[in-house]
Amino acid sequence: MKMPFASFARARMAAWVRRRQGEDRLPAVLARRRLYILPTRAGLAFGALWLLMLLAGLNYGNSLALFLTFLLAGFALVAMHECHRNLLGVGLVAIKAPAVFARGTGAVLVTLENSGPAPRHALEAALEGDPLASADLPAHGRAQLSLPVAAAQRGVVRIGRLRLTSSHPFGLFRTWTWVHLPVELLVYPYPSGQRPRPLASGRRHSGAQVRGTTGADEWVGLRPFRDGDSPRQVDWKAYARQAPLLVKEYSPTGADLCLFDFAQVAIPDLEARLSQLARWVVEAEAVGDHYGLSMPGTLIAPNRGPEHRHRCLAALALYGTEAAREAHA
Amino acid sequence: MPEPRDDRSLLWVSAAFAGGLGLHIDRVPLWVGAAALLLLLWRLAAARAPVPLPGRLLRALLTLGVALAVLARFHTLNGLAAGTSLLILVSALKLLETHRQRDRLVVVGAGLFLLLAACLDRQSLGRVPLYMGETWLCCAALAVAATPGLPGVSALRLAGRTLLFALPLALLLFVFFPRLAGSFWALPRGEEALSGLSDTMSPGNIAKLTTSYDIAFRAKFPGALPAPEERYWRGPVLHDFDGATWRRGSWNWRPLPAPLDFTGRAYRYQVILEPTRHRFWFALDTPAQSPDPGVTLTPDHELLAARPVEEPTRYEAVSYTRSSAAAPLSDGERRENLLLPRGNPRSVGFARELRARSGTDPAFVGAVLAFLRTGGFVYSLEPERLGVDQIDDFLFGTRTGFCGHYASAFVVLMRAAGVPARVVTGYLGGERNSIGGYLVVRQSDAHAWAEVWLEGKGWSRIDPTAVVEPERLRRGLPDLLPDSMSAPTRLLRASPWLRGLMERWDVASAWWDSRVVKFDYSIQLDVLERLGVHDADAGKLGWAFVLALLGWLTVIAWHIGRSARPRRPDPLARAYLRLCGKLARTGFARAPHQGPLAYSSALRAARPSLGEGAHALLARYAQLRYGATSAATHARDIEQLARAVRRLRVAHG
Repeated sequence: MKMPFASFARARMAAWVRRRQGEDRLPAVLARRRLYILPTRAGLAFGALWLLMLLAGLNYGNSLALFLTFLLAGFALVAMHECHRNLLGVGLVAIKAPAVFARGTGAVLVTLENSGPAPRHALEAALEGDPLASADLPAHGRAQLSLPVAAAQRGVVRIGRLRLTSSHPFGLFRTWTWVHLPVELLVYPYPSGQRPRPLASGRRHSGAQVRGTTGADEWVGLRPFRDGDSPRQVDWKAYARQAPLLVKEYSPTGADLCLFDFAQVAIPDLEARLSQLARWVVEAEAVGDHYGLSMPGTLIAPNRGPEHRHRCLAALALYGTEAAREAHA
Repeated sequence: MPEPRDDRSLLWVSAAFAGGLGLHIDRVPLWVGAAALLLLLWRLAAARAPVPLPGRLLRALLTLGVALAVLARFHTLNGLAAGTSLLILVSALKLLETHRQRDRLVVVGAGLFLLLAACLDRQSLGRVPLYMGETWLCCAALAVAATPGLPGVSALRLAGRTLLFALPLALLLFVFFPRLAGSFWALPRGEEALSGLSDTMSPGNIAKLTTSYDIAFRAKFPGALPAPEERYWRGPVLHDFDGATWRRGSWNWRPLPAPLDFTGRAYRYQVILEPTRHRFWFALDTPAQSPDPGVTLTPDHELLAARPVEEPTRYEAVSYTRSSAAAPLSDGERRENLLLPRGNPRSVGFARELRARSGTDPAFVGAVLAFLRTGGFVYSLEPERLGVDQIDDFLFGTRTGFCGHYASAFVVLMRAAGVPARVVTGYLGGERNSIGGYLVVRQSDAHAWAEVWLEGKGWSRIDPTAVVEPERLRRGLPDLLPDSMSAPTRLLRASPWLRGLMERWDVASAWWDSRVVKFDYSIQLDVLERLGVHDADAGKLGWAFVLALLGWLTVIAWHIGRSARPRRPDPLARAYLRLCGKLARTGFARAPHQGPLAYSSALRAARPSLGEGAHALLARYAQLRYGATSAATHARDIEQLARAVRRLRVAHG
């Protein structure tokens, strides 16, 4: 009976905090009103020890023992203020969760800023439960905390709230605040599957005439190298002539153009089928091919580059999930 | 649970514990300290090298073992000495299993508790720095244990700063916290007496005391000090002699002190007695009344308290140095003070013969004193060993002795001749502290003398030692027998500068003992009176406390919060923020990404009706912030802008 009650109480508490604080907007500064503080287990033990010391001091009317007790009481009170101060006024600059492949570990990246003149130590971040990451914030400085999130299956991991906390300096108190920011961690399907990547599928997205896969590419021109360009397309000869790093551009119609079609992959298991498509996307991107993706109800025109790759993998990740349906609605 | 990688936290926790141990190292049995240190080294070695730590079974056995050992040594686990020893050993064992953070915190807690026990044990001023240091160490250990990787210097600075902030509150609480009278329960102290006079005397044991330079008590006389030869401080009066040792005997059947007629001047003075763990209080010979309801004035005019003196004790006493008996000696008392054990035939014969020749009791006393003066007796701290008939050996053999020997032999001679006599122990002398103006009586001033009953005069003090060594009356033992002092003490007394320093220190110590250690309700009211709160009662005490507490909390919260607040924007930024705030009233607020000029043009498009003044101010801000400015007029320009912003009127959109 105990556990259901505890989780019920925790849920009620979370709802109350959510109502009380409202949704957060970036950049947020942690104000007094939203910082909570309670003694830790060590703090409670310290309190019990303190009470014992007070009783002993009072019982014997021993001045020095009483003074020691009072000094420790002041110590605990100041420690409480210092613990609270450690989080007070910390700025929350950015929160992001870069997409990852399934069966891996994702991360929520929280960037904190200290606009005050005193450094802050051992700031911790947690989702629910125990702190997962810790960092020091120098005076007028920033730090990034990386919270690991397990990404078991493709889809979206929604993180409703996260907790910033600290028990610095003496571990007697723990102060914390809840940050309510909808963070979504996109989990791509795990790329796997043995089928060969179709180099050119039957359908072309443009009306160009059908060619053989070995047909000559249509030369368009040179452009400067950008991150993500395939080494295969770099004009190495020009580079060798002391020219800047240039990339040869070909018309899409002439490139190794292909469209990965969900309907044409004959794997009965949905997840395996998505994994196969994901693998093709990853491979095509790695070798610098142009590729497109056709999903029921969605067509992503052939292209390449990190953004394109993300679009394709996201479409695979969200296929058939709530998020995809919402997007269409 | 895995071992924490960081063994520095273990080092700090061990240091906090070792500090607590250090406070008790001279009070616990040697083997307790040695065992604790050994366990500590074991743990530290295991953190560095592949030394195995004991398993669960061995630890359980060890715990049981130390409990039994303490029990065997003290016959109890209750009591300060036994409890402290047990705490030391058990926490040292706990240190062996400090794998988790929680275990380490337990050891720091033990360090704090050892500190408390040390406070209960000794409260002298000289130990205060030690206690403060240990508090600091424990708090720093707490910081290192809580934040692994925190550098030691930072931990010390952090703990020191926190304790400094806490100090005002500690002082406030100390002054205002209500004190209880009496106690809930009594914890037995160690059964071992501190150095000082006891209620038995063998002729040799006072000599042991006299090597101690510790203070027995201080006495402050508002008026004139008694003359040096009158500074006899009365302690236990001993009647029973078994041939080797004098004892008090149980003479409680007399309900009242023998009435005395006091003559001469009355000395009123204050005594601050150091803890002795005996029940005797000391007063100038002869105290006229009991200074405290808990103290009885015994028939022998001793001051006997109901409880042992565990803490510095302050009392006001009244004494007269001259008195005579108002009533004759009862038969019972006469019998009791004439009893002699068997033996010492030569002394008994000698006394009887001398008494017969003298004729009267006073003449007999004079004859015995003359015998001591002229018989070649030597005053010495290291008398030769005496045989079975101690008095015979001493009087007719060695003739070397200390005050105990002379008092003892004198009383035996008196009793053998039928003169009632008894031994009185106490202190003789006292050194005047030139700064505090009080007398300091040390353990080295311990003394024993005799009292004989003379018809018509009553109990009369006779000090046979003063006959053998007349200087003893005027000078302390260290001057007479320099060898009795330890080398540092001799050095101290030789240098006037050091002596002055020691006098100052003693004044501070005396103040500490009487005002801080003995801080109670009456001193509480006294402090309030000085702070300007008159007719203080418990209610006012409470209010004063609450006000002071709130004041402290406010100051602390403000001071600590200050470092968390971001810097206040500069005047130019403040003027700009104010301008943007006013312009937001148009319903078209500046977006975070817009600079002043971009905002200006966006505003021009969205709110064409807005006057040119606002645009001019935005442009002026951009000019002052980013454009070329002259350093000379910059401050004035900003001020002008701020004034213009204040004057700007913006209609609500």
